[in-house]
Amino acid sequence: METRTTSPAGEGGSDAHAFIVHRREKTTKKSVLLGDKLANWSITIGGLLVIVAVITIMLFLISVAMPLAGRGELQAHRVYTLATAKPVAWLNADEYTTTAIRVAADGAVSAFHIPTGTFLASDQLDFAEPATAVGGIVTRDQVAFGFADGTVRFGQFAFEVGVERPDRVPAGRTPLTERDSVAGAMVYREMPTGDFRSILPTWKVDPPQQISEFPIVALDYRVGGTVERPTRSFVTMDAAGVARISRAVVQRNLMTGAETVRLSSSTLPTLPEGTVVTRVLMNSAADRVIVATDDGTLYRYDVRDFSNPVLAETTRAFDGKVAITSMDFLNAEHAMVVGGSNGAVDVFFRLERADAATTDGYELVRARSHENQGTPIIGISVAQRKKAMVTLGADGSAWVRYSTADRTMFRLQRQSDPEVDAALMLMPRMDGLLLVDRQGAVDSWSFYFPHPETTLKAIFGKLWYEGYPEPTYTWQSSSGTDVFEPKYSLVPLIFGTIKATVYALLFAVPISLLGAIYTSEFLHRRVRASVKPVMEMMESLPTVVLGFVAALVLAPLVEEWIAAVLLAFVSIPMGLMLGAYGWQMLPPVTALRLGGVPKFLFMIAAIIVFGFVAYSLGPAFERALFYGDFKAWVNSDVGTGLPFLFLIGFPLSFMLVTFGFGRWYGHRWRLLLREQRRESAGRLDFLRWVIFLAVAGAMSWLMAALLTALGYDPRGGVIDTYSQRNALVVGFVMGFAVIPNIYTLAEDALNSVPSHLRAASLAAGATPWQTAMWVILPVAASGVFSAVMIGMGRAVGETMIVVMAAGNTPVLEWNVFSGLRTLSANIAVELPEAVKDSTLYRTLFLAALTLFVMTFVINTLAELVRQRFRKRAFQL
Amino acid sequence: MASTADSAAGTPEQARQARYGVRKYSADLSAVGEPWLWGLGGALALGIILVAGFLTMIFWNGVSTFWPKPIEVVTLTNGTVVAGEPTRSGIYRVGASLRETLSPEALEIIDANDGLAQRVLYRSANFDLYGDDFRWVSDFEVADVERPADFYLLERQEWGPFVGRIVGLTLEGEPQDLARYDYPALRKVQARARERFERIRHIEQKDIGRVNYDMERERLALRRVQLRHGEDSEEYRARQRETEARVAELQQEFARHQARISEIRTRDRQDWFLLEEVGGRTKQQLLSEVVRLYPANDLSWSQKVGIYLSRWKEFLTAEPREANTEGGVLPAIFGTVAMTLIMVVIVAPFGVITALYLREYAKQGRIVSIVRVSVNNLAGVPSIVFGVFGLGFFAYTLGVSIDQLFYPERLPSPTFGTGGILWSALTLALLTVPVVIVASEEALAAVPRSMREGSLACGASKWQTIRRVVLPRAMPGIMTGLILAMARGAGEVAPLMLVGVVKLAPMLPVDGFYPYLHLERSFMHLGFHIFDVGFQSRNSEAGKPMVFVTTLLLLFLIVAMNSSAIYIRNRLKRKFAVGQF
Repeated sequence: METRTTSPAGEGGSDAHAFIVHRREKTTKKSVLLGDKLANWSITIGGLLVIVAVITIMLFLISVAMPLAGRGELQAHRVYTLATAKPVAWLNADEYTTTAIRVAADGAVSAFHIPTGTFLASDQLDFAEPATAVGGIVTRDQVAFGFADGTVRFGQFAFEVGVERPDRVPAGRTPLTERDSVAGAMVYREMPTGDFRSILPTWKVDPPQQISEFPIVALDYRVGGTVERPTRSFVTMDAAGVARISRAVVQRNLMTGAETVRLSSSTLPTLPEGTVVTRVLMNSAADRVIVATDDGTLYRYDVRDFSNPVLAETTRAFDGKVAITSMDFLNAEHAMVVGGSNGAVDVFFRLERADAATTDGYELVRARSHENQGTPIIGISVAQRKKAMVTLGADGSAWVRYSTADRTMFRLQRQSDPEVDAALMLMPRMDGLLLVDRQGAVDSWSFYFPHPETTLKAIFGKLWYEGYPEPTYTWQSSSGTDVFEPKYSLVPLIFGTIKATVYALLFAVPISLLGAIYTSEFLHRRVRASVKPVMEMMESLPTVVLGFVAALVLAPLVEEWIAAVLLAFVSIPMGLMLGAYGWQMLPPVTALRLGGVPKFLFMIAAIIVFGFVAYSLGPAFERALFYGDFKAWVNSDVGTGLPFLFLIGFPLSFMLVTFGFGRWYGHRWRLLLREQRRESAGRLDFLRWVIFLAVAGAMSWLMAALLTALGYDPRGGVIDTYSQRNALVVGFVMGFAVIPNIYTLAEDALNSVPSHLRAASLAAGATPWQTAMWVILPVAASGVFSAVMIGMGRAVGETMIVVMAAGNTPVLEWNVFSGLRTLSANIAVELPEAVKDSTLYRTLFLAALTLFVMTFVINTLAELVRQRFRKRAFQL
Repeated sequence: MASTADSAAGTPEQARQARYGVRKYSADLSAVGEPWLWGLGGALALGIILVAGFLTMIFWNGVSTFWPKPIEVVTLTNGTVVAGEPTRSGIYRVGASLRETLSPEALEIIDANDGLAQRVLYRSANFDLYGDDFRWVSDFEVADVERPADFYLLERQEWGPFVGRIVGLTLEGEPQDLARYDYPALRKVQARARERFERIRHIEQKDIGRVNYDMERERLALRRVQLRHGEDSEEYRARQRETEARVAELQQEFARHQARISEIRTRDRQDWFLLEEVGGRTKQQLLSEVVRLYPANDLSWSQKVGIYLSRWKEFLTAEPREANTEGGVLPAIFGTVAMTLIMVVIVAPFGVITALYLREYAKQGRIVSIVRVSVNNLAGVPSIVFGVFGLGFFAYTLGVSIDQLFYPERLPSPTFGTGGILWSALTLALLTVPVVIVASEEALAAVPRSMREGSLACGASKWQTIRRVVLPRAMPGIMTGLILAMARGAGEVAPLMLVGVVKLAPMLPVDGFYPYLHLERSFMHLGFHIFDVGFQSRNSEAGKPMVFVTTLLLLFLIVAMNSSAIYIRNRLKRKFAVGQF
């Protein structure tokens, strides 16, 4: 503490006798008090920061994942009337929801600004009479019109989109909205970067092609082929009930630029008399035509052989009283959505079925029944990129639905008269809906629904995805094409995590716990002093190293020597038992003399020797049990399941035999051995062991043969087709990674059992084995359990080993020889590529949150158990 | 515990009694539990064997990688000749489809061997000529193996190594008589040419790098003025004139450097080898693009050691080449060390303060147990979750705000708004803070109570006691915790993959340009290097030696840190055991 020396008051002077008073100031200096207070505050706040950190992590993960459950938002509903009233044949709008083109049945084309309804341009196509049927492709820019004179005309209604720098945008623009302005027919939209996006509607029609003598009543149109040689295919239904499929191949002369069209047609097999066709549909490859009728029947034609179309299937979408009022393909054309006059909206897949009652082996299967709209479905517009659609009901309701997740995103109601015919279009970016009726009334909605794909069912339940034979749990977040259906089920990933953890713990728990007991109770002090630090050091071994060794060294090695590896599971325990029974036969004096370090070295030697035995007998073992080729055997190509059942049954029957013997003859046997000298008792016991082995072997073989005769085959379950990066390798290496964790914690728990318990037990005459088993282990049990839990927590979150060695296949099977994908590996592989705030990004955050919660539960449980253990050990 | 002595407590007695045949009350065999004991001991032994085997394998592979291997020229029975370094061998089962193509003699050899065959993987190199680096050769197709003395192995700047003969040498455009050039002379001319290469590289990296850096700074300065004052302002126009003048100046400097480089290049093109691979095809090879060359079958021991050491030197001090599969790992070492040090700077105060709070300040109660649960959970949360948090919170939330506030001129390209060394260090700090807390707590607890009481009794305040008495005493223990945290942090890869590690960083996070320490830059990391080379390179077989050496290096770093921590801890224990008063 500070002390101050002060001289006495003023005039005392130097000449006065030196009378110095030491006075201690009783108050602490201000700065000290302040420093103390400051430290107090900052340390308290700093200490609580840990809680803040954990809570922040959790809340942040939740806050990012939360919008997945969002309901979306309806941003605007604009209603206006266009200057001209025309029956609408076709609608198209650009990518950015600025401009729409309306094509009327009489060939009048008009372009208008969607947010305001301002007229931008109009034109009259040279239609001789109004179109009677119309069809187009999913992006809506290629359209075919059918006419009453049996002709068909192709048209293109598209947009030229460009980006202009501010100085190149014409000055005399008419402002439309805050961001939009127009010059001529060109709309300019200002972008956040300051540049302008220009959008210009364009259109053109081709000359008519004669298809039929009768009026065309229904039509569908697709464009295939290449850009240089486009193939335009269309299917027509004329008033005489004849359906035709036609192909127009356009050849462009490179020299003159002139186009020649070669048209070929083929008549589809006729439908029953009196069929009223409501809709025809064709796919882009033009090998599949579907005709819908007013009695709910679907006719599917197989047109793979163009000159010889076959009626492949006739099926009922609805019963006879319900008409199919509208029908379309969802994008990618795997799924077909059918709307009925009863308001039903059902989705059909064409699936290959072994028992299909059709000519081509495929069948239309009802995959989903969406929510019933309660009014006839008179129009469907499908999204261009996602699996979404709008269904328009006769009462003016327009429901925006997301098909994969079977949800209705918005229930909209048009303000124009529901009685008046209208055409509708879902905007390309799925951010709006446009509805125009024949009186020129327009309903334009804009909405925002960022994550329609994720419902609770999509993430944790089974969904029926396109191309799959049944509902499945699937994770597949991305693919090369943009018409792909993303699959966000976390179930295969959670399963993979559990599978990897289970196999890792199956390997790690026995080794680390048994090793820890031996270290704490039996191992020589000197050996222990070096084993423990090495194990502790292994804890911080980088898992990337283990993963690399697993994938590039161990996996090929295990694949090459799989039979030897399996044999080692048998031979090493066998070798240790042989060593133990051999040890019992030693004279007690020798056993005592060698009891310390040498005994442990013998154990190591036994493992090495019997490991080597497995290695050298591997090929012979493979020949004897697995027909010389393990991989073919496990693939169910050769043989029966008997060898595997025998191997699994062997330890079980050995245990059974030992238990049975101990139960009925154990006491007598012990009395008998007691009469003997140690060595001869050992020899007798060895003999017993050999007999038991033989009996267990015979029993296991009999059981295996019986099970095989009953038709049971383990292949296809826990063992199945072999792949190089598999759960066996992952379990082994991940087990290796968690062994040090479990080992050190368990050893600490065993060590902290008060030593007076040990001393008391030994003094009472118990052997060290009895002391360890019946005194130490029960006391330390909860500590040991918490060690296992912490090891489990580590295995659950382990990333690099799984990324490198597990093959990353998200499959749902327990097969030891197949790969897996865990939550953590999935995050590591996919998050670097995920676009911020996309559905994938948020789903991966949800995966991280799941992982966080899983480990949180495991760790908290472990911590509670450990605290209980501490309290108990302290009381003893 | 002295268990062996205990276990045998009855045995001499039994032995004595056995001699007289009286054994009525001794423990029977089942009480000793010998088979069980062997089960327990066997588990431990297996664990030790696995650890030892693992370490030995890493060590052996890592240490032996750089040792020059011989080149074997193998003549196959079908007349093909393969030359290369034998890298590894294995046994495989000859498939049915392969058997159909084989001659009866070959089949005979295979059948004599139970349908198995031995094969050797040769590194035939010459990727530019063959389109492949490696080739398996099975024992039944070999007609002859020899090791000719005139075969050279050339490590090249591009295309990987070359295996073949040197059939011509041209210096300054003049063809030379090869007979006058033995191996040391060849090395001398190669070293001279290599110096030119280094000079070009120096100009490119240092001088041109400086010019580019200055130009970028000018551009940013202009953009900043534009953002602050607008495009039509007087300041902007003034700044624009200034920038233009400066950029013109810089461009002149740039052209000057370019001229220097092209001058050296012209000289460089006059020196080249004419190489011939084993099949007779020839290739011209610029001398300056040869990193190292040696006649693999004609080396003395000292030469081999020299090559071995020079490879280690290159590994530790050079930059990687050939998509990281060759060359050195200096940027990765640098990145790992820099990131770990930044992490320690962050984690040390945080961890120590929390430990102080738990040990010295907090009253035992609910809050403390919540803090403890939090610490345990931080320790148990998977590292990848920290990575996800780091990416979403640090880079995309904090970083984006920082960019908007301080670096608007660089937008839309992110500065802090993406992964970087600072975010990596922060993420790993969160991950390792429990280690520091636990170790520091132990260290604080080990400071005897009497010392605190003594200090307080002298009138010191609580903070003074802690600062002057407790902390110095606990410092070694805290250091142990920090070293353990560093070891943990240096080995973590998974979170870094999300928050800033890259396979090839163009610039180090510390360099000669203001502000010298660039916290926003992404960096290379030894652990990620292993992952990248082993799993994402063109040919994982070619990268394998590199992976083993990198692994050895990383393990060495971590084991060194851990051992020093354990050593310090043990010394402390001893010190406190006697040092109490």
